[in-house]
Amino acid sequence: MTEVKLSKKEQYIKMSLENIENRTPFSEFWRKFKKQKLAFISFFFVIFLIVLSIIGPSIVPYDITEPDYVNVLSGPSAEHWAGTDAFGRDIFSRVIAGTQISLIVGLSSVLLGAVGGTLLGLIAGYYGKWVDRIIMRICDILLAFPGILLAIGIIAILGPGLSNVVIAVAIFGVPVFARIVRSSTLAVKSTLYVEATTSIGARPLRIIWKHIFPGTVSSIIVYFTMRIGSAILTAAALSFLGLGAQPPTPEWGAMLSGGRDYLNIAPHVTLFPGLAIFITALAFNLLGDGLRDALDPKIKE
Amino acid sequence: MKKSYGLLLSLVLLLVFALAACSSDSKDEADGGGKEPEQATKEGKDIVVAVASTLTSMDPHDTNDTLSGSVQRTIFEGLLGFDEEMNVVPMLAKEYSANDEATEFTFILNEGINFHDGTPFNAEAVKVNFDRLADPDSGLKRHSLYSLIANTEVVSEYEVKFTLSEPFGAMINTFAHPAGLIHSPKALEEFGKDVATNPVGTGQFKFVEWKPGEGLEVTKNEDYRIEDQPKVDGITFKPVTENGSRIAMLQTGEADFIYPVPTEQADSIDGENGIEVDSKPSIVVRYMTMNTLKEPYDDLKVRQALDLAVDKEAFIEVVTNGHASVLDSIIAPAVQYYSKQETTKPDIEKAKSLLKEAGLEDGFKAKIWGANNSSAMKAMQFLQQQFAQINVEVEVVPMEAGTLSDKIWSVQDPKDAEIEMYYGGWSPSTGDADWGIRPLLGGSENFPPKSYNVSYYDNPEVNGLIAEALETADSDKRAEAYEEVQSLLWNDLPWISLSAENTISGKKNYLTGIYLLPDGSLDVRNLEIKQ
Amino acid sequence: MFRFLIKRLIEIIPILIVVSILIFLFVHMIPGDPARLVAGPDATIEDVELVSKELGLDKPLVEQYVTYMGNLLKGDLGTSLKTNRPVSEEIGARFMPTFWLTLWSMVWATIAGLIIGVISATKRNKWPDYLGMFGAVSGLSLPAFWLGLMLIQLFAVTLGWFPTGGLESWKSYVLPAFTLGTGVAAVIARFTRSALMDVLKEDYVRTARSKGLQERNVIWGHSLRNAMIPVVTMTGLQFGFLLGGSVVIETVFSWPGLGKLLIDSVAFRDYPVIQAEMLIFALEFIIINLIVDLLYGILNPQIRYE
Repeated sequence: MTEVKLSKKEQYIKMSLENIENRTPFSEFWRKFKKQKLAFISFFFVIFLIVLSIIGPSIVPYDITEPDYVNVLSGPSAEHWAGTDAFGRDIFSRVIAGTQISLIVGLSSVLLGAVGGTLLGLIAGYYGKWVDRIIMRICDILLAFPGILLAIGIIAILGPGLSNVVIAVAIFGVPVFARIVRSSTLAVKSTLYVEATTSIGARPLRIIWKHIFPGTVSSIIVYFTMRIGSAILTAAALSFLGLGAQPPTPEWGAMLSGGRDYLNIAPHVTLFPGLAIFITALAFNLLGDGLRDALDPKIKE
Repeated sequence: MKKSYGLLLSLVLLLVFALAACSSDSKDEADGGGKEPEQATKEGKDIVVAVASTLTSMDPHDTNDTLSGSVQRTIFEGLLGFDEEMNVVPMLAKEYSANDEATEFTFILNEGINFHDGTPFNAEAVKVNFDRLADPDSGLKRHSLYSLIANTEVVSEYEVKFTLSEPFGAMINTFAHPAGLIHSPKALEEFGKDVATNPVGTGQFKFVEWKPGEGLEVTKNEDYRIEDQPKVDGITFKPVTENGSRIAMLQTGEADFIYPVPTEQADSIDGENGIEVDSKPSIVVRYMTMNTLKEPYDDLKVRQALDLAVDKEAFIEVVTNGHASVLDSIIAPAVQYYSKQETTKPDIEKAKSLLKEAGLEDGFKAKIWGANNSSAMKAMQFLQQQFAQINVEVEVVPMEAGTLSDKIWSVQDPKDAEIEMYYGGWSPSTGDADWGIRPLLGGSENFPPKSYNVSYYDNPEVNGLIAEALETADSDKRAEAYEEVQSLLWNDLPWISLSAENTISGKKNYLTGIYLLPDGSLDVRNLEIKQ
Repeated sequence: MFRFLIKRLIEIIPILIVVSILIFLFVHMIPGDPARLVAGPDATIEDVELVSKELGLDKPLVEQYVTYMGNLLKGDLGTSLKTNRPVSEEIGARFMPTFWLTLWSMVWATIAGLIIGVISATKRNKWPDYLGMFGAVSGLSLPAFWLGLMLIQLFAVTLGWFPTGGLESWKSYVLPAFTLGTGVAAVIARFTRSALMDVLKEDYVRTARSKGLQERNVIWGHSLRNAMIPVVTMTGLQFGFLLGGSVVIETVFSWPGLGKLLIDSVAFRDYPVIQAEMLIFALEFIIINLIVDLLYGILNPQIRYE
């Protein structure tokens, strides 16, 4: 029974490795990915967002910093599609221009956190023993540091500004990624094929890279895409506490927080940046689900 | 597949509209009720007051936040107090007098008053309290206000005389300051520093309980010296930091009185749900300082240009939603010895030509520092927009309170000060011109880290007049000196005066006799429920 | 197993010592002088120096740490710089409100998350899956303060069903627990779905199915248990986060909890309170992680403790 299971597993692994190495891997992935209709649409939406983030600032109908004190807090109209804010600035233009900032903050902070966390998690999970204990205890300490305090500390020490927000948000992510990757690593490691490979005498780095890392990828991707939305929200929470982007930067979170005092009288001020965050997070999450299914070698059609 | 996508899309839209509707619904409803102000009703005689921050201490001698001070004033009384216009009025003292040199102050006390614990109030009790305040080893936060008291003498059971180590003309206001409230001497002896959680005074209300994070409760003092007072059974003060939540509590009746009300929502909740909003001038001023030791702010022309670029009327509309007035001096009208100055209209062309004369035709780059709360950020953004008109490119640097104070006050040598422009505010808690001017603009004596002169403004003429005004208790002489000081500062522009803020509170319309004083503290002495 | 437990418990002590040093250093590294903040907005330099002396902040850092640790070993957490009350009292009053709020949030979030996750995984790519995951994504994408304020508007102000905030009765828990749990439920749902889908493709599940076991048994009895490892990790993490008290939710709902206390103490640089709170968080995390690690072993006996 065990024998059979083992060999089947290895077949799958081989298949997937061959897929990636020999057959035109991209077309194979693409074929699978196209089947995920929702993810496919999200993929184009994300592309659209990226394009928007590049050309956005130059196509907006209004200057995003130019105030218009006569038109303060006016609701959506033909002239101002999403209304105006407390300074009479066009919210639609600011949301468009803010795409770039929010995407950069979201992606770069999660990427930083994911790389750091994955490395730590793989090492801890694979080597176990004292290495595991030390790494995990460091993560515990990092996790136990309340994010807000960490953020205040980092921003107080490094100064205000977006790049420091990215660092603060990235550090939140490291221990979480580490724990998740570690738990997947433990699960993969405990399956017999890795033990078998180890007994053959393969080098640890090779085992980690070829056998364990692929087994953790699905968790990483799912969590990665989840984090993008929440990273944008964390940046928003930092703005909520006055530690985010410097005004007048049109960062969505800052716009959202800045509008909360107008929630009763001018809901459009928070509605549109809130919607932008919401849809962006939605797109990344759906895309992540699709990628996960397409990348997973075990999925049968 | 397509079908489910359609379903999803419609769900998104549904959710969005539902949430948007929640907010506009309540507004429509409110608009409907607006025609005929609804009369709110109240059961029982216990009042809930929701406030914006947590309380720190119930020891007036060791407190420096206005909020804790407000609560203390329900429990304690001082020799003197302030009325609605910031005039000094007698409280525990019947009358007072001072010598011409402003070194001796004598108080005749009211008789027959007892503390909540039964201890009689007399000259000895006053002495115990002010000896405590004047003791440099006490470690009390308000020691410095009373550090000039060299001796407190019990003249008779109901007469007490203070002798100062040097003349101090503003001393009467200092006695009226919320820090000068009188503890029961028995409580001081019994609890020591723990009077902070066991306050015993002579006030209208007795302390009941203070649960950290939840609130503080006081109950009616049945034996209060004025008959028929107080007219409510008790008050609970609850900290509710989020503006929206505080307003919601007032709307549902969970709170009967809230403050502050954010300027953004003051007008929209007024007259709805039986709510009355009260917006009144305060002694708080808002200004933007410029470091006069630094280029280019050392040039008066540059400071004038910046001043002319700022439209103060627009500042009040945009930043404070109209709940402030143009500041036409460097102190607010409610502060003693205020003297009105002539305001100028914004003039971009003139500002540009002044910059040109100063050799800065193409403008310059600047940084403005300030707090990171939403109203300060709004104000700094507004200034940024105004200065952009004359090509002065300002970077807004909002900082968290601790960081900001470190940046400002860790400077040892004025030449090292990084500060350029600073958006700030000041509330002279004594209500006297001295504390409204001296710490902020009173020469090198008051440069950081010693005090608050972040303009690094040092003008011998101003310094001389400020000193002169302190050496006398003669009101006319003091008024004269401060008039000149204000005029000098107004023309020399160490800061740009922006606004005199309002205090804004909201209450259910069955409450009367509860209001904020110009210094932002709460007065409940005549509080009553009228239905 | 028993040895493992003992070992981990002993480990806690050096960890806490390291944590206390790190926290002490970190807290003192943040710019800002508590004496000035405590002394207030219009204090004179004399006031500030007085306060500094009174609080012992004028002594060298090492001396301050030694004093702090000495008191800590005696069980004395110190006195709050801001309120002059014992730190144990400040924290004691706020611990239970945060704990119960966390517990109720976790209970509903875990139940809802598991159900949604399982339904989504078994009805993969059908409308219940889309609906469930859409709900989950929405839960993740909503800014908490916005959701909280909206709920207050609707259920407290307009309908009057629940209080707007504070802690008075069981009713006070409903809105904050719902708001707090939304994000957690979403995370658990997604993890359950993802992990369960992995497991459902495993051979032993197919074997179980081919043996003719009922589908319900296959999922709830066999597969879910194996899918629980990442889910348990995530749930434990979330529990730990929430125990620290959510600053945003406690602010919006005026909750007398630890999160609010922390943000207030940070604003005042109230070192003793910050340090004590962080030590408690660290301890909570260590304990939760220990429980999670023990659960791994119960869920998957193949994982061995070393």
